[in-house]
Amino acid sequence: MRLLVLAVLSVALMVVDARLEVLKPVRSQMGLVVAPFYWVAGLPVRLWDAVTEQFNSRSELLAENEKLKAEALLMQRRLQKLAALTEQNVRLRELLNSAALVDEKVLVSELIGVDPNPFTHRIIIDKGSRDGVFLGQPVLDARGLMGQVVEVMPYSSRVLLLTDTTHSIPVQVNRNGLRAIASGTGNPERLELRHVADTADIKEGDLLVSSGLDQRFPAGYPVATVKEVIHDSGQPFAIVRAVPTAALNRSRYMLLVFSDQRTPEQRASDSAEAEARAEQDQQRAGQAAETEPGEAPTAGDAVQAGEAPQQAPAQPQAPSTSSNQPGGAQ
Amino acid sequence: MSVQRPRNGWVIWLSLVLALLLGVAPLPTFMEIGRPLWVALFLSYWVLYLPHRVGMTTAWVLGLLQDVLYGSLLGQNALILTLIIFLVLSLHQRLRMFPLWQQSLVLLVVYGIAQLVQLWLNALTGNRPPTLAFILPALVSALLWPWVAAILRGLQQRLGIH
Repeated sequence: MRLLVLAVLSVALMVVDARLEVLKPVRSQMGLVVAPFYWVAGLPVRLWDAVTEQFNSRSELLAENEKLKAEALLMQRRLQKLAALTEQNVRLRELLNSAALVDEKVLVSELIGVDPNPFTHRIIIDKGSRDGVFLGQPVLDARGLMGQVVEVMPYSSRVLLLTDTTHSIPVQVNRNGLRAIASGTGNPERLELRHVADTADIKEGDLLVSSGLDQRFPAGYPVATVKEVIHDSGQPFAIVRAVPTAALNRSRYMLLVFSDQRTPEQRASDSAEAEARAEQDQQRAGQAAETEPGEAPTAGDAVQAGEAPQQAPAQPQAPSTSSNQPGGAQ
Repeated sequence: MSVQRPRNGWVIWLSLVLALLLGVAPLPTFMEIGRPLWVALFLSYWVLYLPHRVGMTTAWVLGLLQDVLYGSLLGQNALILTLIIFLVLSLHQRLRMFPLWQQSLVLLVVYGIAQLVQLWLNALTGNRPPTLAFILPALVSALLWPWVAAILRGLQQRLGIH
């Protein structure tokens, strides 16, 4: 009898949790216990690490220090170039009137646990809703994209990795811009590109970067390198296998990216508003240029309005960028 | 017989928390596929020998905790743990008479059934493991049962838990 009651209760809970949003806040609060649990479970490993680090020999530390210094030097050299390039990029983007951000805000977080189920690729990190983490937030490590946040708890969150069988990400071949979708295979070293035409220009060694078409992952971050391309005449599409660039099962520190705080709906309404404003400006300009008011809603005007967002703001901005230039150089 | 006040009841809870911890402890990748069902093992022991202290409701609550820890659907592990404990409870008169290795065999079947239900539920939510390996945890747990039972019995007798 009690089995029946509890079983029905469990099934009801499962259905509600899967289909409705009611339990999400409850779940997130219950998640408070998750972080300490994983923290305690990982304690022996961390203690061992700390102990070995303590007894690391002096020469090893010196060697590491030397290596890091050399690396820092290299990075600084690159950074010098990057500053100039960023400046240039911002200017060009302004000319194009593009709203895309060049630099995103990031938050460093640490891995505190790995999902005990070997068939899912999920990890737990030590930043949660108190740190501003949100659902669907992209997660990177030093080498590339790792995955996205799928569950936010107050002090921790769960991240679904790229290689989970339920995960896919739109990518682009860096060399020629060819678009594709990279799906996880359940193997931490393997991604598969779906529905790539047999004749597509893709080959071994190509770097795949995120295309940003999903409006979730920022564009241009490395995702994977193509490992093999198999053309099988019996298959409708080419089989393309790639290796993720991020160290999905080794990275301890990762970055949470805050690229755009707005939700997709807000973004859509914002862009619609901007378009409407540009259209109004165009109409006003048209009236000021002494065209007949009756002509405003004709087809010819609509075409002009479509071009407006590119034309109208570019002209006032050209002088402003040139006036910025000396300021930036000083 | 006068009604005895529960003595050292906290040990039961402590052991169950320990089981939850063992359930998420990091393991090498090749061992992860056969991670024993710690919570089920510990619960089975307490249910077998102290059925008046630990029952299906306890199992259900622990299962919910597991769901939160693993990030699975709320109720999934709760259902499975309740099922295991129901089977153990309905067999407990007989199981208590058996020697340890025979208990292991019965528990292997019970855990196997539970893992099968787990597989079905996972298939419903889309995370279906592609292999027969889902039976491995049941096997490992059954092999561990004599040791777990011996340790917990020692603890029980030492602390006089009723």
